[in-house]
Amino acid sequence: MVSSELLSTLQGLSRTDKFHIIQVLISDLAQQETDLIKPDQSYPVWSPYDAVEAADTMLKVLEDSQSEDHV
Amino acid sequence: MFNSEQYPFVSSDTALGEASFRPYLPLTLVYQQSSIVVSGLLDTGASVNVLPYSLGVELGYEWEQQTTALSLTGNLATYEARVILLQAVIGNFEPVRLVFAWTQATNVPLILGQVNFFMEFDVCFYRSQLKFEISPKSLPSNSSFESI
Repeated sequence: MVSSELLSTLQGLSRTDKFHIIQVLISDLAQQETDLIKPDQSYPVWSPYDAVEAADTMLKVLEDSQSEDHV
Repeated sequence: MFNSEQYPFVSSDTALGEASFRPYLPLTLVYQQSSIVVSGLLDTGASVNVLPYSLGVELGYEWEQQTTALSLTGNLATYEARVILLQAVIGNFEPVRLVFAWTQATNVPLILGQVNFFMEFDVCFYRSQLKFEISPKSLPSNSSFESI
């Protein structure tokens, strides 16, 4: 939680200083986002993207099972 | 959406804060007399549903008896996969039949992908509000997409 004292101090700053604080915080946040991904580490992506042949096979199995239900 | 249910995004790693939230859907998978409660990752980029090896075993499936082999892509390409069919119960909706690529990988999440989860359910994501809304597919009517 932002303390009311800190907020009060920030609100008392000049327009230029407020812009400066904003820039510093935005830069800080961007750096934190970058730090989430560490260099020299692998991050597995399990999503089977573009597995169209598998998708086609699975749809056929599904359709076959549904037509068996209707027999 | 008509007949819809809402679920929250779930944090997968509290250390990562806002970046860690994922749309995990609680569901019950049923095969014969077995059922398990799991969380499935809604993955619109995944072509297919994926079931980790351990969950298939827990449900009573035997690998050797599943004869339809699949070739998956990405990190899953190095693991064998086979087709299995399951009943899935989500919220208060009617049970649906889902087809899964049962992979021999164990450290993969249960993935709900285009075939056939997103063919059965309409999903609306509200990431900024950390929630998503899901409803069973609606039958085609006077299509509102005709003008697109």
